[in-house]
This record gives sequence, structure tokens and C-alpha cells, in this order.
Amino acid sequence: MRDRPDGPTLAALARGAAARGEDRALIGRALAIAEREAAAGEKPLESCRAALVQLYGEAALLPLLRRFGDDISAGRFDAPGPAREAALRLLWAITRQKLSEANPDYLAAAEG
Amino acid sequence: MRAALARFLAEATGARSVAIEELRRLPNGAVTENWLLAAGFAGGMLGDAQRLVLRTNAATGLGIGLGRAEEFAVQRVVHGAGVAVPQPLLLGSSDVIIGKPFYLMRWLPGEAAGAAIVAGQFGGRRDRLLRRLAAELALLHAIRPPKTALSCLGTPPADPARHRLDQQERLLAEDPDPHPVAAWGIAWLRRHLPRPVNPVLCHGDFRTGNFLADTEGLVAILDWEFAGWSDPAEDLGWFCLGCWRFGAYGQEAGGIGSRDAFYRDYARASGRSVDPERVRWWEVMAALRWLVIALRQRDRCLMGGERSLDLALSGRRPAECELEILKLTGDG
Repeated sequence: MRDRPDGPTLAALARGAAARGEDRALIGRALAIAEREAAAGEKPLESCRAALVQLYGEAALLPLLRRFGDDISAGRFDAPGPAREAALRLLWAITRQKLSEANPDYLAAAEG
Repeated sequence: MRAALARFLAEATGARSVAIEELRRLPNGAVTENWLLAAGFAGGMLGDAQRLVLRTNAATGLGIGLGRAEEFAVQRVVHGAGVAVPQPLLLGSSDVIIGKPFYLMRWLPGEAAGAAIVAGQFGGRRDRLLRRLAAELALLHAIRPPKTALSCLGTPPADPARHRLDQQERLLAEDPDPHPVAAWGIAWLRRHLPRPVNPVLCHGDFRTGNFLADTEGLVAILDWEFAGWSDPAEDLGWFCLGCWRFGAYGQEAGGIGSRDAFYRDYARASGRSVDPERVRWWEVMAALRWLVIALRQRDRCLMGGERSLDLALSGRRPAECELEILKLTGDG
């Protein structure tokens, strides 16, 4: 669900950039993402997986997300109705969670 | 590099000699590198002291967009058409001079940083800046194919929207990670394809952050590496995308003004009516295309070996695009 690079990778890259004296704003942004991600932990991934398990049955998050994307592409959620509404709710939940870690200011501005 | 460049400059301009006094990388540009080159020319077509910008490829590329020779050709054509761009001067298309292709243009004073422009430190009066940007876009969109000098851009697509959608879908499929929101956006774009229009020359990355402004107003439109033949609404949608508002989210036209004012200014300057639904389609496409570019930026760091935190952070930008896709398509 989370985009790459993950928090630990970003933190490592930020430490390298700090050692080279690079842009402090970028370093701060990377470290903040890593911190927010660490604070959120695995819980958002597990809730996303749980929502997809409801749809498809038990499996790991990555294959479930892939199947969800494939079904969207195949038009399974095109028709108005509960399935489409549920899919849309899940997409919003994923997006809000990702933004709350990657760029909470953007999320607040866009939904303000 | 300096000696080879000085030789090239002397030969290309007919100067007796060229002394490079300053050569330093400018801060802007992720896909390309821009270098300030200050040099003294003894005779030749430029003459005396000159401040130029050398534009060349970054260490790794996106695998999409124009090469420097094509970008130089576009910049020459738009400069000739009267669009505000730095005058392109010389093309070094061979790899032997600095190890990669480059071109030189006149350096212009000003600021390109989106946050500083949106904050009002540069660009002057907001309504005037927006009107000027719309007017420049209208001037650009008056350039239509066929254009021999732009044969490097290839055959104009008969259906620019379908062409762009197929291209982005193909590029997204190359990414190993699942992107369900992007899939949602693609499905919506397929269902709502606009009728084809005759393509015009589009900038392809027309947004706040890609133009130079001083305290009075607009100086020049920069960064032409994504130029091509397309639907003029593509540039309008790209400009209005939420990701390019630099903290002024409520100002939907590039963080500078209202969407309505921008559409009105553009319609007045171009003589074309603006169809908001068509622009909305291109805005969804803009979100999808920026998402794809961000993933490729990320890969330049994670897979291409380019040590850049900026590029790595691009990998976390798709969530902004996804939010825009959902906001723009949520009602069907």
C-alpha cells in the first residue's frame, strides 16, 4: 500500500544527504515521512488488507492490491451500486493514509 | 570540460577566443541539468561578455521526453513565434564536447521556484501574471502542424487524448508495484475520452515552477522537454492540477488565481472557447502522468544509482496525484 522508498530507506538516504551537507529542507521532509510511517506502524497496512480480504478472501496485501487494481481495470466496479461505493471508499482510505504519512499538509489543504 | 567548451564556443560563434569565467550548476531541473556559463568572447557573433545557460541531460534520464536537440528545435520555433522563452543560441549535439548533448541559451534574470512565486515574492500582480501566462499559452497553441522545423516531434497524433492515455497506461504497466487508484483513473479516462481535436504545439509541463518571473511579472517559459503535438486543453489541465499550487491550494490556476479567470484569459487570448469538461479530462490525465513521472524519478535513484534525495522523495508523491484522481473522478 505504501509507496517506495519506505521510511527506513528514506531515513538512510536522508542521513547520507546530511553527511554531504545537502538541502536541509529535503532532509527534513524525508525524516518526517520516516517518522510518521514508523509511528503509524503496520496498522494501516493491516486494515487495508482486512478490507481487501472481505472482497477476495485471505491473502497477503500485495497480491490483494494487485487483484483489486486488475478488477478495477477490468471494469468490475464501473456500474453504480454497493460494490463501486465500497471500492471507492477503500481507494479513498488508502490515499488518505498514504498522504497522512507522505504529505499531511497537502491532505489538509486539499480537504480543508 | 571548460577547455572543450571554450573551443566549441569559439568555433560555433566565430570568436577569436573565448574565456569561460564561471560555470556552475543552477539549482532547478531534475530531468535535465542547467549550468550558468559566463564567458568573454573576443569577436564573433555573440561578442563581449555573455551570460548563458547550458542545458544538458542529468546523469540518469526518465526514458521519456525530448532529447536536447529536439528541445532546442522546439525552443527555436517558439522563440521565433514570439513566445517568451530564453533565446536558444547554439546546439552541441555531439557527445564529444562535454560527453553528452547540450544546448546554450541566453541567461535571464528571475526566479522559478514555485513557492516564492505563489507567495507573491515574484511575478507581480496576480491577475496580470495569470493573464500573461494565458496569453503566452495562446501564442504557443497557435503553432500548428505541419512544421518542417519540428519534424523531430514526429507525426501529430490523430487522437491526442487516446494517444496520451495509451502511452501512460503502457508506462504504468512497467512499474512493478500495484496502483489501484491509477487503475481507477485510467478506467475513468477510458470511459470519458473526449472527441479528438486538431493538435497544436503544447508545452507538456506548463506549470508554476517552470517559468521565470521577476518582481514585475513573467520573464520566460522554461523547460520544454515534454513539448509535443497535443490537445491545447492538456496544458490547461496540467497548469490547474492541485500538485502545482505550492501551498495555495484554493487558487486552482497554478496557485496564482482562480480557474475561471485563467479560462477566461486564455479564451480571450486564443479565441478558443474553453470546455471545462475537456480540461477536467486532461487534469485527470495530468495527475496520472505526473504519477508515472514520479515513479520514474524514484527509479532513477533506487535503480539507476543516481544519489539524490529529491528523486527518492518523488516516490512518495503519487499519493498527491491519487487524491486528485479521486477528487476529479469520484462522481462517476
